[in-house]
Amino acid sequence: MTTSALPSLRLKRVVVLGANGAMGAGSAALFAAGGCEVTLVARDRARAESVVPAVQGIAKSERIADGLRCATYSDGMESLLAGADLVFEALAEDINLKREIFAQVDAARPPEALVATVSSGLSIRAMAEGRSAGFRQHFAGIHLYNPPHVMTGVEVIPHPEMPSGLVTELEQLLATRFGRAVVTCADTPAFAGNRVGFKVMNEVAQLAERHGVQLMDTLVGPYTGRAMPPLATVDLVGWDVHRAIVDNVAANVRDEAPGAFALPSYMARLIEAGHLGDKSPAAGGFYRRSTVHGKAVTEVLDPATGSYHPQDETLSVPFVDEVRDLNRRGRYVEGVAHFFDAVGPQADIARRVILGYLSYGLHRFGPGEVVAGYDDVDRIMTAGFNWAPPSALVDLIGPARTVRELERAQLPIPAIVAAAARGEVPTPLFRLPSITPGRYFAG
Amino acid sequence: MTPPVFVLGGYQTDFARNWTKENKHISAMFNEVVSGALEATRIPPEDVEVGHVGNFAAELYTMQGHLGAFLVETHPAFSGLPTGRHEAACASGSIALLAASAEIEAGRYDLAMVVGLEQMKTVDSARGGDFLGTAAWYEREAAGVSYPFPKLFGRLGDEYDRRFGLKDEHLARIAAINYDNAKKNPLAQTRNWFMSEPHANSQDRFNSVIGGRIKVSDCSQVTDGAICVFLASASYARKYAQARGLDLARIPQILGWGHHTAPLGFDEKIAESRDNPYVLPHTRQAIVDAFRRAKIADAWALDAIETHDCFTTSEYMAIDHFGLTPPGKSWQAIEEGVIELDGQLPINPSGGLIGCGHPVGGTGVRQVLDAHRQVTGTAGAYQVGGAKKVATLNIGGSGTTTCSFVVGLDN
Repeated sequence: MTTSALPSLRLKRVVVLGANGAMGAGSAALFAAGGCEVTLVARDRARAESVVPAVQGIAKSERIADGLRCATYSDGMESLLAGADLVFEALAEDINLKREIFAQVDAARPPEALVATVSSGLSIRAMAEGRSAGFRQHFAGIHLYNPPHVMTGVEVIPHPEMPSGLVTELEQLLATRFGRAVVTCADTPAFAGNRVGFKVMNEVAQLAERHGVQLMDTLVGPYTGRAMPPLATVDLVGWDVHRAIVDNVAANVRDEAPGAFALPSYMARLIEAGHLGDKSPAAGGFYRRSTVHGKAVTEVLDPATGSYHPQDETLSVPFVDEVRDLNRRGRYVEGVAHFFDAVGPQADIARRVILGYLSYGLHRFGPGEVVAGYDDVDRIMTAGFNWAPPSALVDLIGPARTVRELERAQLPIPAIVAAAARGEVPTPLFRLPSITPGRYFAG
Repeated sequence: MTPPVFVLGGYQTDFARNWTKENKHISAMFNEVVSGALEATRIPPEDVEVGHVGNFAAELYTMQGHLGAFLVETHPAFSGLPTGRHEAACASGSIALLAASAEIEAGRYDLAMVVGLEQMKTVDSARGGDFLGTAAWYEREAAGVSYPFPKLFGRLGDEYDRRFGLKDEHLARIAAINYDNAKKNPLAQTRNWFMSEPHANSQDRFNSVIGGRIKVSDCSQVTDGAICVFLASASYARKYAQARGLDLARIPQILGWGHHTAPLGFDEKIAESRDNPYVLPHTRQAIVDAFRRAKIADAWALDAIETHDCFTTSEYMAIDHFGLTPPGKSWQAIEEGVIELDGQLPINPSGGLIGCGHPVGGTGVRQVLDAHRQVTGTAGAYQVGGAKKVATLNIGGSGTTTCSFVVGLDN
């Protein structure tokens, strides 16, 4: 007998608007796998139908299509939304486009239907401006991470007018029925995960201008607590998406890390020339993959010149190799200690990025901040980014040493870290169940 | 009277992890699982007197043998700790538990650490399938055969079909239940995978036949995983309980065990059981022995079962071998919902091998840890309400080495 009570919120019919976009198929697969009937809406029927095999491929099941229906906007909003419990918007990240569609949704939605946007950081309040009270009371951001069948993190950003009971029910439903790791966020630019994650990635991109792409991805590579090196990650998400996120934060946020979100000028220049990362394979991003004489070759960007050079297969940083070897044997405490004991300018650069990550992450909770508790930061950085949770880094380094190292790097000391160093809060700080931080530190 | 053996709990790694992708050596699994278990139980490492490892084929998957020695590496206090490794294919973990519990019963030691583990994602599925073939009679049953084990367990289904009739829809139901339960288990390999009964019943490009009547949805998957449990004598368990303000009577014990080995070859097994009501009589005997030692009359004295569903056919076999139905009528228990999480006698609340995962040499230890979770009320969303006695069934090879435990409170 299970004891967890299921929420009463009904979620049987979901309408995905912009189903053929980047997040459309992944979202549709998530809802269908949770037992919903899903209507896939695109500009024309062929585009909507193209999502069906994508959903089947994600779920690895032909039968998942049994609950899918394809439609286009020309079917009329009234007919599309009839009987809908959730209208899920997954259009491009363009606030005017979203506002336009929400006006149509507002006019046609059943009174109890929830409306959600998958936006990764645009203002929820701004999107709902001019909408009816009923719309605003049923409107939230549901920011799924890509791809949803791999990354289980989700940020819920309720419109301020949404009743708290409904927010709770929605979050419980996302957790129990859809297996999501749920974090409630305030309506702030880039929300929690992207704010913290892109701050680090942008900083690494800034440092690459001086130290080189390959060296930076080596210094703060997977051994420092992430599945992928930061610049390779920017290539994966796309330079245009990266720019949209950091520009939005830079323009709308004042915090303790000024300048961290300034897009490096070489990136701005190269984006204009069509360098968008993996989505522009011919132009490339930080890396460019090509085939020479039938052999796969990876080239690396030189930010100073915008040209590409063959990857240096011999690049090796001794302290990095030593920490990786400790991680490979599951000796994470020793690995982190070795990382902080390493001597030299390269070790200083790597440490400053990692310390910057935990400092910035652990400043993002509490009153007036993005999330309620530091567990929320840990949850979204693990389930949304596959990065080591900031609080677990403090545990591994040791709170007292973390304070000393932050002082040495002239980085702000989060209150929670200072309190842990003084023995005023229980340690270890990291307390999410069923997650072993060691998994994030690659060998 | 045989002295009691207490189960003090332990730790399991997340079975969804791919340790090769993390570029981890098998020693990392030892380090994580032992430090996790010490932390979870708050057992001082100095108290541990002996270590046993259950593992099937680290020599093949990771080119590493002599696994007992890795236990010594996991904590400075373990320097000089007597250790050893046990192998009986998928039953390796249970054999390690049997060895540790025998030493406690004999009075040699008061506290034993048992680790079961397998790192399997080091090779592609075809090569891994060939390695698994060594759990059968390799030269006669597996050499040159792609995926020999699905074929062997497909034949187990065929034998049921021949003797009693078997509908594949009942196998599909078994798969769907295990996946459903796994969604409630935060350490289950498939907790975020899609599965539905219609999918399990379909045969298409995503649910193709692997061998005989076995499709992808009928199979447990390739899993990296490690599990650690601590077994203790009454005197240590008393000390452990006192230090934590627990009632000794609430600490689970291994109430009974059974262990038998059938001929290695599948044909020989089937020939031997020709005139027996049970298709795998040695498996039945291991269960009966465990019941007898636990002083329980039958399966209805249990609150849950963690069984070996390497394939849906092995769970189908377990249902009648546990005595939930007369031989050959396992389908009745499936149709009546008996084995579901809220049924009369839930099977695999954890998701079992199909849902939770099957790190081959670790599975027997994982089953006993899950039995401990159920009996101590710590199984979270897959808790069976008020569970006091839980049985395990762990099978190596094509029904060759069978071990069964009854874990519960002594009443």
